[in-house]
Amino acid sequence: MSITRRQALKSASAAVLATTIAKPAIAAKDPILIGYLPALTGPSSSTGIGINRGVQLAVQEINNAGGVDGRQIELIVRDTQSDPTKAVNGAAELTRGQKVNFVFGPVNSGEALAVVPMLARINVPQLHPCWVDTLADPTKYPLCFRNGPTNQQIGGAANRYVVETMKLKKVAVISDTTGYGTASVVAYVPMLKAIGADVVYQAHVDASNPDVKPEMLRMQAAGAEAVMPWSVNAGFLSRLINTRGQMGWDVPIVGQTTLGSGQTKALLDKPEHWAKVYPNNFRPCCYDATGKLPERTKVFVDRVRAAKIDMNDTLLWWIALGYDSPMLVADAIKHVGTEPEKIVGYLNQLKGFPGVYGDIAFTPEQHNGYPDRQIVMVEANSLKDGAFNMAPGYGAA
Amino acid sequence: MVQSIVLSGLAIGCIYALIGITYNVMFSASRVFSFTAGTLGMIGGVLGSLFILRMGMPIPIGFLLALAGGALLGLVTEIVAVRPVLKSLDQHLYVLSTLALALMVQQFTAIEWSTEAQPFPRLLGTARSAFDEQFWLPMLACLAVIVGLELLYRHTLIGRAFLAIAEDTYAARALGLPERSLRMTSFALAGAIGALAGFAGGEMLLAFFGNAPLLTFYGFVPVALGGMGNNRGAVVAGLLLGLFQQSANFLVGGIFASVAVFTVFIIVLLARPEGLAGAALQRRV
Amino acid sequence: METLTARWRASRANGLIATGAIGTALPFLVLLAVGVLFPLFGGGYWGVIATRAYIYWVLVSGLNLVVGFAGQIAIGWVALLTLGAYTTSVLTAGNVMAPLPPYLALAIAGVVGAAFGLIIGLPALRLRTFYFAITTLGFATIVTQVALAWQSVTGGGVGVPGPIFPEPFSSQWGFYYFCFGLAAICTWMTVNVGASRFGRALTAIRDAEVAAEACGISKPALLRTVFLFSGAVAAIAGGLFASLQSYITPDAFTLDLSILFFISILIGGRGSVLGPLLGTILLTALPEFAAPLVAWSTFLYAVLLLVIVLAIPGGIAEILDFKNRRPLESDRAIIPRPDLLPRLLGAPAPAAGAGALTLEGVALSFGGVHAIEDLDLQIQPGQVHGLIGPNGSGKTTTLNVISGYYAQQRGTVRLNGTALPVFDRPERARMRIARTFQTPRIVGSASVLENVMIGATIDGRATFVESLLSLPRHRRDEVMLRDAAMLALAAVGLERLAAVRADRLQHSELRFTEIARALVLRPAFLLLDEPAAGLSADEIRRLGALLLAISRSGTGVLLVEHHADLIFDICHRVTVLNLGRMLAAGTPAEIRSHREVVHAYLGG
Repeated sequence: MSITRRQALKSASAAVLATTIAKPAIAAKDPILIGYLPALTGPSSSTGIGINRGVQLAVQEINNAGGVDGRQIELIVRDTQSDPTKAVNGAAELTRGQKVNFVFGPVNSGEALAVVPMLARINVPQLHPCWVDTLADPTKYPLCFRNGPTNQQIGGAANRYVVETMKLKKVAVISDTTGYGTASVVAYVPMLKAIGADVVYQAHVDASNPDVKPEMLRMQAAGAEAVMPWSVNAGFLSRLINTRGQMGWDVPIVGQTTLGSGQTKALLDKPEHWAKVYPNNFRPCCYDATGKLPERTKVFVDRVRAAKIDMNDTLLWWIALGYDSPMLVADAIKHVGTEPEKIVGYLNQLKGFPGVYGDIAFTPEQHNGYPDRQIVMVEANSLKDGAFNMAPGYGAA
Repeated sequence: MVQSIVLSGLAIGCIYALIGITYNVMFSASRVFSFTAGTLGMIGGVLGSLFILRMGMPIPIGFLLALAGGALLGLVTEIVAVRPVLKSLDQHLYVLSTLALALMVQQFTAIEWSTEAQPFPRLLGTARSAFDEQFWLPMLACLAVIVGLELLYRHTLIGRAFLAIAEDTYAARALGLPERSLRMTSFALAGAIGALAGFAGGEMLLAFFGNAPLLTFYGFVPVALGGMGNNRGAVVAGLLLGLFQQSANFLVGGIFASVAVFTVFIIVLLARPEGLAGAALQRRV
Repeated sequence: METLTARWRASRANGLIATGAIGTALPFLVLLAVGVLFPLFGGGYWGVIATRAYIYWVLVSGLNLVVGFAGQIAIGWVALLTLGAYTTSVLTAGNVMAPLPPYLALAIAGVVGAAFGLIIGLPALRLRTFYFAITTLGFATIVTQVALAWQSVTGGGVGVPGPIFPEPFSSQWGFYYFCFGLAAICTWMTVNVGASRFGRALTAIRDAEVAAEACGISKPALLRTVFLFSGAVAAIAGGLFASLQSYITPDAFTLDLSILFFISILIGGRGSVLGPLLGTILLTALPEFAAPLVAWSTFLYAVLLLVIVLAIPGGIAEILDFKNRRPLESDRAIIPRPDLLPRLLGAPAPAAGAGALTLEGVALSFGGVHAIEDLDLQIQPGQVHGLIGPNGSGKTTTLNVISGYYAQQRGTVRLNGTALPVFDRPERARMRIARTFQTPRIVGSASVLENVMIGATIDGRATFVESLLSLPRHRRDEVMLRDAAMLALAAVGLERLAAVRADRLQHSELRFTEIARALVLRPAFLLLDEPAAGLSADEIRRLGALLLAISRSGTGVLLVEHHADLIFDICHRVTVLNLGRMLAAGTPAEIRSHREVVHAYLGG
């Protein structure tokens, strides 16, 4: 496969770099400073924790192979604690204090909404995986790039699955009360209506409420044939799943990727409850009909296992995304150096960067890098080593 | 729907009532309200989950240890946050010291345990049903505490000593009652009751540090409405609060439910600041 | 000669106070200089932190009046930050109507904040401390929930972009100076309030509410005023906060912020402006010193709070209070100067104008206990009237009825023929009826002079706004109040302790301080509740001379006492109570030989 060759070439070039650099007197070169703003604690930390594992692995690999043009990558981490105020403080410190060359993150939309405009004013290139649509805008934020899908893309895939594949018309759409959750519902309800669905219930639910039974009962009373929750809060999602099981309500749950994470699984009452749950995920991180991962992913998974990184309490695609991101940044810097305009110029021409979790491409008019066709729904209870089987009804790529 | 409202309303109402009783027992012993009552409820759930799920202890042992943990926190409250400020001229320092202690415990739990709700063990392993153990366990706990306190106050010497201290500290001291040890014991007892509330309610509320502010507020409403130090009033008010809250939750939805509860609370309190049960005005001059 | 010495002494005490004023201004000037010069050495990141600290201080300066000065435990003040942030952002973003210019939006936010400050604060007038604290927490939750629910206006969970202020405040340092300027103005305003009769009245409500009422201070009016002000500045801080964040969502307004604001004030020290200012800067900057501290920041704040409460309740302000560490003279004597009284109280009023204070048939029972029963009493101006009797005979109850703390169930209390309205303490003060208390009720953390100045609060003419802006009428008030207080202190013999913090005084000195406080009201009637308790024999003699001199200036004095010698030495008339009823009334000589009185009370 061409991808494998490219990947092999990449490791080969890294090896070449290493041998050319590993001369006795290594030239003293300033490290490349990458600022990193994950949410490692707080209610929206499941994404951050997963992504973080991939990021650390990637930086380690790059540095062990000699760095980028002999320069080591120094990753400066500021935990945002799922709090936009701390995210702004952290971003200020990274850019004005530590003077980083590049910022990766935040990984949650609520925090990114505050940080993206701020970084645009400071003229620091930024890469983030957040989904809220307004977070990438080449006109307003020319230095900001998104290497994840947008809400439109995610919602589109989920909505089409429910309406066109599962052929269900009456849909209940709910979210938690974070910026991400609310934005999702606000965006998805019109999208559902546009493809012919009947939105019988929509609500924003306080995720810290321990009892979601009232919501479920109201959805049932409204005649919902599918429940679509949008939240990254594993506790909230697990409670929805558990309550559905306790009620004995046989309705499919189709929605946010965290529905399938190991964290959610750990909070389920019974493993049986996880049947008929279809979170969105990405083709490169899914098992095909024969139960095999794509070659590129398999190689990556082996490396993850070798590094003793736990995949069972999180999602593989988060780790993969975390891995791809510093790789992408290192790739840009290797080609054009650390000047912001040059990096932006390079990224604007990026075509098909072979990430583990997806092929990223940008243009000057399009800073959303993830391709539509790689977004799919999966079966939650097929979780194995952080990856899933695709949900019934998906053909080949 | 009605069945769900009644069951979950009574169950959560019993948890609120128990926290209210925690407030009251502390108040009776010292004439101060402690912000740590809600935190005790949270600790009961967290310790239960910690001992039984994470450390794998058998359920009865985990239960006793959780209660012990609550009693310990109650004791710490008395020694660190209440005793030192009782003597001070500034009457309201206790609000600040107990608030500080409660915050410390909450933040520590959030950072060391988790900021997310963690699962709480299924205590009796019964099959899930409409009248599920998560509903009747809190009711049972509440009943046990009420009966237990009645027996304690009426039929044991130490219980009557508690009542004496609550009525009139000076007279009690004059009678030779060891005021300090009695107060410490009261706070330890209150701590155990609070932890019991959190443990019995663990299947509903899960082991979550965010339960602390929730229980601090909702556990105080029964006290405010039922009258300070009045345990029976706290129970009645707690049950009413639980039913009202769950009705609002089921019929209207989460956000408006909390707004509704709070608004009603404020209005009732402004109309009758002594609570619905009423208490005598004290001589100020 | 005498007056010269008195003037010299008074001015020396005033001088102490003047240097004290420079001493208090210096730290502020230093902070001002640091703030102005900060961009030169600070760097962009610390500039953001400093701007944040200024914004928080704008809010905390107002909250300081509520929590630090008035002693109200308002924990959930982030609700007003949220309101201000959303109001400003929504108005500039144009979600509800055409977009407004940011300054106008900010001003409107201030008005909205004032209104809601009042709404959130009003329960304080009806509820006990702990209850009020809990309700403010509930308000904070409610505002956040409403912001979440009202999607069409606030954007719900998605939020709304913050306002951008026009040039020159749109750049980072421009905005820094904008916030710095507002913070400096708020500091100046609240220092002015602190040094005004309003500030002193607030601390009186906090620490000596009963005495404050006797001085005519109306708690509801005062609290309403500070809640309006505090709400307004908190909302303005919210608008600035939204601009700093550039985008606000409900989850930015955490309970942790409320805790930060509240604890800053307590760490700083109540009744101070400098302390909470330093506290705010400390708590904002502290988590930034080490990345791990960020996660533990609220824990650290709580630990600091506990330490402060247990070890240094006065907070940073107490630590910085160097002048009160100087030891006081150990052998202090209280030497009143009764000759100064005419200047303070004015010449005796003509007998026709000043009427008597009369009780007719007054009765009051507490449950089954008849505290006073069918009591007739008349206090003439210019006379000292003694009221004696065993414990429980109703002496203090009578005094409380006259001074308006209890309402009689039967009978009337009249001054010069006009009935006194029941329970109306401020009205008593306006009618120039002053009193002291069985246990001295003073503001321990304020100076003796400030405590005495509280007594004449109702004589101030400046409004709250005039004090806020230090307008001429406010400054005239302060001079007038200070002069009167110094004179009163000189009259009772305490002028050398004027600048000393009141809680350092001995018990006897506190009693005389209370008398001085009553004197600045220029009372027509002075009611004293066992003023000789705990005084030495010398002091009792001097007290007696002082009270006689007060009566000679035309004031009617009611003296409730146990010390028989004092009573018989100075009283013109004596009434004896027993079990709530009048046992005997007459001149001291008549009483001393009255058989029943001797039998029941005097022994023998």
